[in-house]
Amino acid sequence: METYLEAEGLTKYFDGVAAVEDVSFVIRRKEIFGLLGPNGAGKTTTIRMLSTVLAPDAGDVCVGGHSVIREGDEVRKRIGICPQELALYPELSAVDNLVFFGRMAGLSGHEAKARARAVLVGVGLEARGSEVVKKYSGGMQRRVNIGIALMNRPELLFLDEPTVGIDPQSRNHIFETVLALRAEGTTVLYTTHYMEEADRLCDRIGVMDRGRIVAVGTPAELKRQVGDPDRTTLEEVFLHLTGRSLRD
Amino acid sequence: MVRSFHLARFELRRYLAHRSDLAFGIALPVVLFSLMVVALGSDAKFRGVMHVADLDGGSLANQVLERVENADGVTVRRYTQDELADALERTAVSTGFVIPPGFSASVESGAPASIVVKSRGSGGDEGRFVTGIVQGALRAAASEIELRRVAGVLAGDPANDARLDEAVRQALAGARTRPPVTVVTESMRLREASQLDRLLAGIVVMFLLFSGTLGARALIEERRTGTLERLMTTRLSAGELFAGKLLAGIGRVVLQSFVLLGLAFAVLGTAGPVVFLQCLVLAIVVAAAVTSIGLVIAAVARTEEQAAFSAVVLTMFMSVFGGTFLPTSGTGWLDVLARFTLNKYATDAFVGLFGEAATLADQSAELVILGAVAILGLAAARMMFRVSSSAV
Repeated sequence: METYLEAEGLTKYFDGVAAVEDVSFVIRRKEIFGLLGPNGAGKTTTIRMLSTVLAPDAGDVCVGGHSVIREGDEVRKRIGICPQELALYPELSAVDNLVFFGRMAGLSGHEAKARARAVLVGVGLEARGSEVVKKYSGGMQRRVNIGIALMNRPELLFLDEPTVGIDPQSRNHIFETVLALRAEGTTVLYTTHYMEEADRLCDRIGVMDRGRIVAVGTPAELKRQVGDPDRTTLEEVFLHLTGRSLRD
Repeated sequence: MVRSFHLARFELRRYLAHRSDLAFGIALPVVLFSLMVVALGSDAKFRGVMHVADLDGGSLANQVLERVENADGVTVRRYTQDELADALERTAVSTGFVIPPGFSASVESGAPASIVVKSRGSGGDEGRFVTGIVQGALRAAASEIELRRVAGVLAGDPANDARLDEAVRQALAGARTRPPVTVVTESMRLREASQLDRLLAGIVVMFLLFSGTLGARALIEERRTGTLERLMTTRLSAGELFAGKLLAGIGRVVLQSFVLLGLAFAVLGTAGPVVFLQCLVLAIVVAAAVTSIGLVIAAVARTEEQAAFSAVVLTMFMSVFGGTFLPTSGTGWLDVLARFTLNKYATDAFVGLFGEAATLADQSAELVILGAVAILGLAAARMMFRVSSSAV
């Protein structure tokens, strides 16, 4: 399979402390790549570097053939970000949020409105798109959060814990949306603390701990490192790789 | 740059959607203005008053004053010379008229004479209006005088039509080349306005500063919620983001200025649309300055609380020491402190425009200083601006 993203020796220090150190991995085109790790493992910092928000202190990332350091604008054309927090404007409607971020992504006014309508259908909010977001349930807000990331038809979609704090129906809808996006050709980087979610969705998984990648493989390959893949859960693999001590 | 304008438009929509911001930025000053007007009183209606010191007291002077008093919308208020000078000095009067001693006798003897108009700046709309009425009254009086003189010349030979025509022609030609009565304007550039002028200007500037600097809190909130970071993963460049935020800040403050100045003008009553437009232009410069200060706060503060605290402390410091509530003395350490506040220059400029009937050109020094604050503040904020506040 063709490589779409290649991170090589990514390193980032904050106040002299390494948040991410010498991280290298690849994501193949049209795959769902899970990035797992305990709190503070460096997942979000890694995503920030992959998405051009943070400049790495060392290393580089190539996205669709473009360096995040030298060709940031080319990279930003190709990516969509759904951050862990609800990064939207709750006092405005879902349509307003989608159109605004669409315009910022380079769509014309007409294109942004048309795309917003399509995205609202995709995230199951076509009937309530004109309502202000703060009146939505948590699950609906999460779906708008994802919808914003889809406005520019990204080739690579970053989903940072998109299912935190929502009901099973909304979670299931998000799963279906992600699988549909992959079927359409979108590459996805997915982070989550729910191991069964990663097991169900991800084609391959990278496990991070203390700023480093400690394992990469398919769920079955990772389980095989610990025991019988049919009997071992991904959570057992995770605890085996990252330890049982509590993290800050 | 198109994205910057779109971002600015979007920001303004968000501002209008925030009821608490609107209440603070617009409703609160409206209430405050109302209280001030009740407390201090004001001339809310347009009144054309001829403030005059009649040092002549002759028949022609009386005739002119009577004609003015009979004109619609104008009343005559008489002063002694010292009283009028004092009223002009205190800015209780923006335009005063002095009829010099010997005025009537001089005109009646055929010698030219003048009424002196003393005005603060252009004298304002009221001053110009009343001056026009006085000039009309003088012209009418002068015509009568000329006719009386002609009649006097012809009194001994009333049947001679040829002499009558010649006398009228000569009299009118003489009146055209050497008018028997004229109005001489003396413009006074005084630097003191009424207490209400200064208070209104000061309150306007204080609220603009509050809005501009508290805008920093909204920016930090965006940083906290992640929308700022999300914007930076779109095609929007950092420069466009910054320009959009600046434009939005200016737009917000100008919108607020429009309401506050409208209110101030309604209270003051005498200023016209030209002065209002000049004040709006000044408000744009002030908006740029206060927005840039807000962006500096956003660049330096790490939390919304820090930003709000900085905004309130800075605004109150500048309002107190910048002459919002009391004019700075011009000497001493308080005046030195005032020079480090944006309010001093902004308030002085606003007072100059609607309190002293000056023009924008008269306020060029203040405009240059406010513009410099805007440019330097923006440069500093741009250098220190961070998209992300955390290292996670």
